[in-house]
Amino acid sequence: MATVESKTPILQMRHISKRFDTTQALDDVSLDLYPGEIHALMGENGAGKSTLIKIMTGVYHPDEGDILLDGKPIRVGNSVEAQAYGIAAIYQEPMVYPDLNVAENIFITHRSRDLVVNWGKMFREADEILAQLDVKLDVRVPARGLTLAAQQTVEIAKAISLKVRVLIMDEPTASLSAHEVEQLFKLACTLRDQGVSIFFISHRMEEVFDIADRVTIFRDGKHISTAPRSQVTTESCIRDMVGRKIEEFFAKSKGQRGELLMSVRGLSKENAFSDINLEVYRGEVLGFAGLVGSRRTDVGMALFGVEPADSGEIIFGGQAARIRSPEQALRLGIAYMTEDRRRIGLTMPMSIATNITLPMLRKYLSRLGLVKPKDEEITAEQYRQRLSIRAPSVHEQVGRLSGGNQQKVMLSKWLNTQPQLLILDEPTRGIDVGAKAEVHHIINDLAAQGLGIILISSDMPEIMAMSDRILVMREGRQMGIFSREEATQEKVLTAAMGQNNEPKERA
Amino acid sequence: METIKRYFRPEQLREFSLVFLIVAIFMFFGSQIQGYFSPRIFNRVTSDVAIITVVAFGETLVLLTRNYDLSVGSIVGLTAFFVGKQLSYNQDMLPLVALLLAIGAGTLMGLFNGLVISYGRVPSLIATLGTLAIYRSILVAYPGNKIVVTNDFPKWVLDLGSASLFSVGGFDIRPVVVVALLIFIIFQLVTTYLPYGRRLYAIGSNPEAARIGGLPAPRLVLIAYVVCGALAGLGGFMFMVRYGDLNTAVAQGMELQVIAAAVVGGVSTNGGIGTMSGALLGAFMINLLQQSLLRWLRISDFWVGAFLGMLILLAVTIDAVIVSRLRAIWARAGLEMRPAGEKSLVKEKESHVA
Repeated sequence: MATVESKTPILQMRHISKRFDTTQALDDVSLDLYPGEIHALMGENGAGKSTLIKIMTGVYHPDEGDILLDGKPIRVGNSVEAQAYGIAAIYQEPMVYPDLNVAENIFITHRSRDLVVNWGKMFREADEILAQLDVKLDVRVPARGLTLAAQQTVEIAKAISLKVRVLIMDEPTASLSAHEVEQLFKLACTLRDQGVSIFFISHRMEEVFDIADRVTIFRDGKHISTAPRSQVTTESCIRDMVGRKIEEFFAKSKGQRGELLMSVRGLSKENAFSDINLEVYRGEVLGFAGLVGSRRTDVGMALFGVEPADSGEIIFGGQAARIRSPEQALRLGIAYMTEDRRRIGLTMPMSIATNITLPMLRKYLSRLGLVKPKDEEITAEQYRQRLSIRAPSVHEQVGRLSGGNQQKVMLSKWLNTQPQLLILDEPTRGIDVGAKAEVHHIINDLAAQGLGIILISSDMPEIMAMSDRILVMREGRQMGIFSREEATQEKVLTAAMGQNNEPKERA
Repeated sequence: METIKRYFRPEQLREFSLVFLIVAIFMFFGSQIQGYFSPRIFNRVTSDVAIITVVAFGETLVLLTRNYDLSVGSIVGLTAFFVGKQLSYNQDMLPLVALLLAIGAGTLMGLFNGLVISYGRVPSLIATLGTLAIYRSILVAYPGNKIVVTNDFPKWVLDLGSASLFSVGGFDIRPVVVVALLIFIIFQLVTTYLPYGRRLYAIGSNPEAARIGGLPAPRLVLIAYVVCGALAGLGGFMFMVRYGDLNTAVAQGMELQVIAAAVVGGVSTNGGIGTMSGALLGAFMINLLQQSLLRWLRISDFWVGAFLGMLILLAVTIDAVIVSRLRAIWARAGLEMRPAGEKSLVKEKESHVA
């Protein structure tokens, strides 16, 4: 694809900006896609790749900027319009219709089909498209039960049947086996040779170098660089993704490491993670770093007993512990604060006080077994002052608070269980800078009081600044534990993206 | 075995077992009840089933999209009563006008349901629970006395109800039955051969994919509700013709029978699965059982509701346990994706492409 620059771009993004509440998801991004190229998009979580894709496919609309197709500005109102322009996307989790057969899945959105479905013809044409892709798949079977790879193939076939010109592949390889990835790449190259332009998103560096003609890197919603693959190295890539400035307005005060609180040996869970080994000491923050899909949350949930591990041993406070349910975890003194506060973390329509006392409700019962609201209020009031939750009263509905204050309520709720080990999953996601600093202060205080803390975060500067040690995960495997002294963003990101020298062994 | 699996699906297996069950019920009660094979029972069951199925076909369209319509009973009742009233005031009204009036009224009510659900984003269960009450209240509040009796109708209405298009030894084929069969054929074709019908399956099968994958889901769901309303309107007209005596409680609770028919016939309440023939068989089986039990045990009408409820639970349980297991077996066999090559069909096709 050396001649790329001589052609005119098929798709141009011009000065695209998009803002969500307080987050600038995309900031003046411009990008060209040429006919017949595979263009990789890279960047950390939250760098803006997904937002850009959703703008191209009409799911979001840009606040500013234009999209040009063949040099003419277009307005992509929704995914139907995107398809009409020849822009289609396939995702990590394929979006097939399980009850329809393969052929139907391929042709379901066609507007220009015959008035009446001619099944014979449809099966024939589906066979032809799959033949064009060089795969064999029975077009009469329902999509339910197909392997993920096969489902993705169905989606690609659908895109082709729609005369796709721009195909966006959003982390298509994340759940595929090595062999399936190879097949997918062959397919992508076939398409490229047929003139289709592809945006390819992946966190796996080696894949990007395998397949991309050009590589674009995003950071913090900004376009950082675009270069032909030949001019990109692992080092330059990671450097661009990390950037130089690290916002240092929070930092963990170097705490006093106390006694050993928990040690975990060989913790494994099928289809999630395997062989996790770690120690947590009192007064220490252990950071969990990794990219989306690195399964950090699964480890957190396993330690809290929500989705118990299959094997491995946990020693807690000097004794072997079996954690099969959150009740057992709570009794041991483990609390887990979820990353998903809207859905499972808080009960939005209920008050601050009732949310905080919910896991420990039995402590607030009168002799008749009735809840004593006065006691609840006293507890909640304590936390309101301690964590400075900004609300008119503890009877305020949680749903009406800002994200940062909701986060503090959730934190109060788990602190009220008197934990010794606190697992915090993305405690500062989606809250503003001020609240973020406050949460960091609280974490510092808690560690200073002798709690052990596991901090799961996708925010690299946060992990770097807050952790005493950093455990890096990638696709369910532990890539290493770095001490505060030896950890650099480059090292951590390199480990998270799998650029170490161990042999490839994806099965 | 492969060919069996290829052309034969668990859903069809289910419909065959329904046919088998119906025959078994027929045989069993035939041996228990004197005069069971009489024209009277036959005529009665077929006429009742005709009305239920017409409404059930509309309900099936809605269920396929992973939505519900609980208001069909009220729509049937309101259209039957409303058109009956108009006929009693205006004896000269042409039959066709009365029919169109009924379908039109049903369509309007369906349109309202659909708008609230598709564009107002109200969950269908709540929306149609609301309109169930609203449509029924309009009927109750309708000015004038609260009943329409046989004598109020022009003669053609009553004739149409008892007319026989052809008959074999007392076994009549009534106009309502013919209408139901026509509607059945039409919607069986719609759901198998029209892109619109197939898209309903798609929406119910994976609503999220439909949303981001380029199907105009709100519009398609709206149309499903409009058609469902229209069919319920037609059902109301058939109801009026069949029974003649109407009060404010007409067709109350019919939504239960209709949904039971669809579910027993294999239509999934999770959308994406089900056929019109299934709904028809389900309606037939339920009605046959109901009529037979009434005669056999002389159980009271009050028990019919409990009985329907149990059938629904049974059907859904069977679905959850047996049919989904079968489906898994079907899915497992021979679905692996293979690279082209070997002696595949694909090779032959390649020459076509070239």
